Order: sequence, then C-alpha cells, then structure tokens
Amino acid sequence: MPFTFWIKTAGLFLVRSRRSTTVLILMVFSAVATLIFLASLAIGINDAMIRNSVSLFSGHISGFNLPSTISRKSLFTDGVSNVLMRIPTQGILSHSGNLAMVTLIAVDPVEEKKSSAIWKKILQGRYLEPGKKEIFLSKPVAEQLNIEPGDNIGFSPDPDLPPVELAVAGIYNTGMYQLDRGIAFCQISAVPAKAAEWNAAIFLNDGADKDLILAGYHKAYLKDSLFKTWSDLMPDLKQLIDLNYISMSIVMVLVFGVVSLGIACAFSIFILKNLREYGIMKAMGVTPSETLLLIFSEVILLNLAALFIGIIGGIAAVSVFQRTGIDLSAYTSHNQYFIVSGVVFPRLTTYSVWLAPCLALVFSIFSAIWPAVLVIRKNTSQILRSI
Amino acid sequence: MIRTRNLSKSYSTGRGKVQAISDVSLFVDTGMTLTVMGKSGSGKTTLLNCIGGIERPDTGSVECFGVDIHALSNRDLSLFQRRNAGFVFQAGNLLSYLTVSENIAFPLVLNAIPNKEKDRRVLELLEKIELSDAARAMPNELSGGEAQRVAFARAIAHCPKMLLADEPTASLDTETGKNLVGLMFALGKEEKCTIIISTHDQEIIKLSYKSLDIRDGKVKGPENE
Repeated sequence: MPFTFWIKTAGLFLVRSRRSTTVLILMVFSAVATLIFLASLAIGINDAMIRNSVSLFSGHISGFNLPSTISRKSLFTDGVSNVLMRIPTQGILSHSGNLAMVTLIAVDPVEEKKSSAIWKKILQGRYLEPGKKEIFLSKPVAEQLNIEPGDNIGFSPDPDLPPVELAVAGIYNTGMYQLDRGIAFCQISAVPAKAAEWNAAIFLNDGADKDLILAGYHKAYLKDSLFKTWSDLMPDLKQLIDLNYISMSIVMVLVFGVVSLGIACAFSIFILKNLREYGIMKAMGVTPSETLLLIFSEVILLNLAALFIGIIGGIAAVSVFQRTGIDLSAYTSHNQYFIVSGVVFPRLTTYSVWLAPCLALVFSIFSAIWPAVLVIRKNTSQILRSI
Repeated sequence: MIRTRNLSKSYSTGRGKVQAISDVSLFVDTGMTLTVMGKSGSGKTTLLNCIGGIERPDTGSVECFGVDIHALSNRDLSLFQRRNAGFVFQAGNLLSYLTVSENIAFPLVLNAIPNKEKDRRVLELLEKIELSDAARAMPNELSGGEAQRVAFARAIAHCPKMLLADEPTASLDTETGKNLVGLMFALGKEEKCTIIISTHDQEIIKLSYKSLDIRDGKVKGPENE
C-alpha cells in the first residue's frame, strides 16, 4: 500500500472537514505564534540587559593593561563595531581644601559618545568636549569636593608635581557603585599620561560572537588575562540571563502542557468524529497499522499547516516590535540592568522560532495517541452498530 | 465456498448476557446466493459479521474459500477481507470525505490495482450503477438509493469472492430496494461472486438461490447444514 495514498487520503479528510480543521489550526496557530513572540521577547529582555550593562561603560569585551604595542586599530576585527581607548591615572582631586582620591580615565569624547552611554546619565552640566581641559565626574565625587559645573579643580597624579587645572564640564550619576565611586573622566590630552598601558572597551555588532572574537584576541596576543568578556566581568548578569532562558523554557513547556490538554481534547473529538469512517475502512480490510498511519498523517499534516502559519504569524508580530521596540521603562527604572533604556526589542533566534513549533508537534502527536489506540482497539462491529 | 461450523456469539449488555447466534452451521457454494431472513434482533447482522470477519465468534469456525478466517491474525484477517470480501451495510456506507469515484476506487487502491486499470473499473461501475454524472459528487449530495448503489459498486469493485449485504434495502423505498437488489444479483452473477444477504423482504428472498431462517440466533429449517 503506497505511503503517499494515506498522506493524500489524510489531506482529503482535512481539506473536506473544513470547519474542524480550521478550528484546530487556529488553536495550534495561536499557541505557536504567541509562544514565538514570548520567547523572542525573553531574548529581547536578555539583549536589553546585556546592551544596557555593556553600553554604559565596559563594552562586550574589556581589555586591561594593554601594552602600547597593541594599537586600538589592531583590535578591530570582524564583528567589532568600536574600540574605545581609556587610559587610567590614579591621583587626587582638590577644590577649596577638599580632596578626593580618584581614578581619572582619559577618553576620546567623540568615540565615547558613539558607543558608550555614561554621558547619557548627566545630572548637571554637559559631557566632555574635544580639545578642552575638562573633567566629567560622578555625583558622589562632586559632593565630596563640593563643586558644580563651571568650577575649576586640580588633579595631582603625583604629589611631587603641581596639580593640573581642569574645568568641571558635568556631573553624572549611574546608580552603580563601581561607576559612581572614585571615578572621573577627562579627554586624553587633558592630563599627561603617567602609565604606558591602556584599557580598551570593545563593542560588538548585533549577533557577533563574543567568544569567537575573544579567542581571536587570545590567539593574536597570547595573553589570556588581557581580555575579558562581559560574562566574565558580570557573572551575576550571566546567571540572570541563563535563569531567564531556563525559566522561559519551563514556562513554554508548562504552557504547552496546559494548551495541549485543550488540543488533545480537540484532536480526540476530531479523530472520534471520524470513527464511522475508520470503521468502514476497517471493514474494507484496512489494517491497524494503516489506520494508525492515516490518523497520524492527519495530525501531522494539520500541525504542519498550523505550525507554518503560526511561525509566519509569530515572526510577523516580532518583526513589528523588533523595529519599534516595547517600552518597559515603567517596570525597569529601578533596575541596574536597564540603567540606560527600558526599551526591549524582541529578537528571533533559532531557539525562539523553533522551540514552540517543536513542542506543538510533539504534544499534538502525544495527544493523538489515545484516540488512535481507541480507534484501533474498538471492534469494527461496535463502530458499525453505532452508525 | 463458505462454510460455518457451530458458530456461537454472545454479548454482555446492560440487560445481561445476550446470545446473538447459537451453534450456526451453514454452507454456501461458490457463486451462489444465500438469503438470511429473520426479525430484527434475530442475529442476522452478527452472523454476517462473523462470516465477513468483522466480528470474532466465541466458538465455532468460518471457512471462506479454504481459509479458516478466525484463525488468522488481525492483520492477516484485514488483508483477507480487502482481497476477498465486499460489504454493504444498511445505511451510512460511504466514506463521507471522499467523492463517489474515490469511494469506489478505495478498495482498488487497497488492492494495489494500477491507476489505469483502477480508473477503467471505476468508470465501468459508474456506468453500471447509472451514476456516471455523479462521479465527483460527495456522498451527502446523493439520495439514499444512489448512496446504496455506490456502496454496492464499491463492494464489488475489486471483484471479491464474497459479497455480504446486511439489510441493504432497509432504508430504501420498495421500488428502489427492488432495483438495487436486482442490480446486486445481476452483477454478482456476472462477477461470479458468492452473495450472502440479510433481509426480511420476501421479494428479495424469492430472487435468491437459497434462504435460511434465523430466529433467536438459531437457524430453523433444512438449510442448516
């Protein structure tokens, strides 16, 4: 008996029982499209947390104590969008007798504005401007020194040397201890460099593989300790993202578990509605295995149709919000992982696109087992008597 | 030939155990026509179901053309049915999602008849049952008589050795029923098919080669072998 005959017959059964097929397709379609969107949203939330955390200051990969033999230009490889050069200098800030111990980080303000976001956290004044001897410092440091934008302060990298005078350009507050305590910024030429080493904040394009780029750096510069990714530097964020993936997967399995009860009932009704047909076929000599093949072909064909439009629907919904984003600022304003922006952009990945359809197919096949076995086990004469 | 020996079958119902047929032995020679008559609930359907392999008897055997069909496994019984048997039931015979021609072609596909031969046979049968114009019609578009004619055409499409018809005229008016049975007997003879038909219609009984009266599951009269 040709396999294609049963597939064709299953297709005819589905096409010609339009109403039931449509209802079932709609059930599976809505579940799949919704879960694709939710999975993409979960990915988008993870992306937003990473983006917020790395864009504020550190970049996706941080380079520490890089020798001057490694140039900024040499760190641009495939997938790297920008490399920010930062030269840290320890010293003392002084103003009207007030002192504060800081790490003054010399930066290129133009490049910083392109990739990092610390300048967006300004409370007073403005960010650094190229060519000016200015300082941009945090609110706690400004309070310690009792200064405001426009004031002049002194910076002494070495107690034996006279302080360098800098004008206060602006005051920022990130809410993050590491960036608000003992840190200030100036532009590279404003302070004479004391150390020959520099730090790098490396920003990657969307979708670039940080581990691959890191491996490239390790290979090129032979020193593993020079470069670290955001997941090494922020293990708490890494754990949170892993937790998010796991909880989303569990939620999807649970949701599909519940949805599958509804789908199982609908499939049972759908299959048992055709009990009469299976009875007639059995009387004509259709074997139990052929009956099973027919029933599962119906379920699989119906699912493939539903999954196809479910995937299209889910992708379409994600595409709309992928451009505009979903502003969740009201729920993220006090969260350090959303410090720059609470806008979430859902993103499609292999995980978000295929998890829901695979679950739908598996659950549907499982839900068809009981009615299929019932059809096989039910006596043909019992079926025919009920006609 | 078809032979049953001491065939018995009972059912458990809400009203206790019901003996549907008891110790039925009969013999029908190849190409002959047997009418099983009896009142409703007399066991006609159970007897036909046991002969056709639709139902397994509690005791006794059914030998169809040299094969003890209830000694076969479920799969082998299905394969035997598809090659050698054709069924016509009281009503609701057709696969409702298939067209008239697809219904008639179904047993031909099951028996792996090549497409060309299958199409020829379907057209031939449609002509014989005078429903050539309804080839693409769905079963719900047919009248009761037309549906039974299609069911009959489907039952004999693959040239089975036996045709079992369980009160095929029960849902039809007298004239339509008479025409259907006439067609059934004529085509059965043409196809050299052994026909067993259950009915309480005296007109049909007159047309058959041999008849058998069944009462309360037991065969009455000399036809009981």
